[in-house]
Amino acid sequence: MRQTEGRVPVFSHEVVPDHLRTKPDPEVEEQEKQLTTDAARIGADAAQKQIQSLNKMCSNLLEKISKEERESESGGLRPNKQTFNPADTNALVAAVAFGKGLSNWRPSGSSGPSQPGQPGAGTILAGASGLQQVQMTGAPSQQQPMLSGVQMAQAGQPGKMPSGIKTNIKSASMHPYQR
Amino acid sequence: MEAPPVTMMPVTGGTINMMEYLLQGSVLDHSLESLIHRLRGLCDNMEPETFLDHEMVFLLKGQQASPFVLRARRSMDKPGAPWHLRYLGQPEMGDKNRHALVRNCVDIATSENLTDFLMEMGFRMDHEFVAKGHLFRKGIMKIMVYKIFRILVPGNTESTEALSLSYLVELSVVAAAGQDMVSDDMRNFAEQLKPLVHLEKIDPKRLM
Repeated sequence: MRQTEGRVPVFSHEVVPDHLRTKPDPEVEEQEKQLTTDAARIGADAAQKQIQSLNKMCSNLLEKISKEERESESGGLRPNKQTFNPADTNALVAAVAFGKGLSNWRPSGSSGPSQPGQPGAGTILAGASGLQQVQMTGAPSQQQPMLSGVQMAQAGQPGKMPSGIKTNIKSASMHPYQR
Repeated sequence: MEAPPVTMMPVTGGTINMMEYLLQGSVLDHSLESLIHRLRGLCDNMEPETFLDHEMVFLLKGQQASPFVLRARRSMDKPGAPWHLRYLGQPEMGDKNRHALVRNCVDIATSENLTDFLMEMGFRMDHEFVAKGHLFRKGIMKIMVYKIFRILVPGNTESTEALSLSYLVELSVVAAAGQDMVSDDMRNFAEQLKPLVHLEKIDPKRLM
């Protein structure tokens, strides 16, 4: 009684056939007998061949499944993976750190920006300091190097202007004195 | 003209030198929403704050080769806010183990005549841009996600054009010098934003 947790009150002759039965049910026994006769009928070689083909088919199927899973996973991740572009990161950091790609385009002598440079240089020259104006009136032959020095800087760079003009003033100012 | 590195300066009193610890990354436009959602979850609970700033960078060319750089920033959408003048020193090239870019930082709030004052002092504007984006906070960490716009006509902030198809993401802390555990906290936070954004220490000199 203790062993069965109170489910079997008395271990009597009625209980034994039910609980200690090892023979399978009649239907199951029939089926098993049929299967064993079939298996014996085929013969050992045919049976081996069948086993091998079954194994091969199983492995093929497994491979196909795993490939499908891998492909679908990476296919699903790939569009999501591009959430940032390292080249953009570098461009943005350079822009914030020292203005690369912003209003100060600094190409060396390309024709595009030099066109806005022309009218830009004109306007900046018009609003320039007194030194510059003296320079312009006193040395008309120096116009050429002066303008070219101004063209190198762009319209958005007032910071570069004084240095360009200063060097030209230095080089050109020798002439009025020497003359 | 550049201030010497903080570690070399003698302690003679005055204000405490503040350092800015910085990590930067970027996110493409189409992933911005998911990043904002993640940040709203991770960061302190507050109203989502957007900003539209116009920043001008001024250079003072002295006798030395390297000019002195000051950054002036004004808010375009919050009228009445003071202008913000900032000095950023050279990044401290010390510890390779330090996870963030560290540089000396001085922040000053100024009135609106800042540009006139700087021009009188001899500064010349080098470049300018407009920054538009979102601002988040977590403790002392500040996270900014913004898009940089190039100003096509100098001085005209209406004619702008986006610089790239990405938003710049910056994680920064302004703290007193010597607090290196700050960079560990920043790195832990940056881990939480992967794989959306890779925040890392980017040396601007490498990009020159």
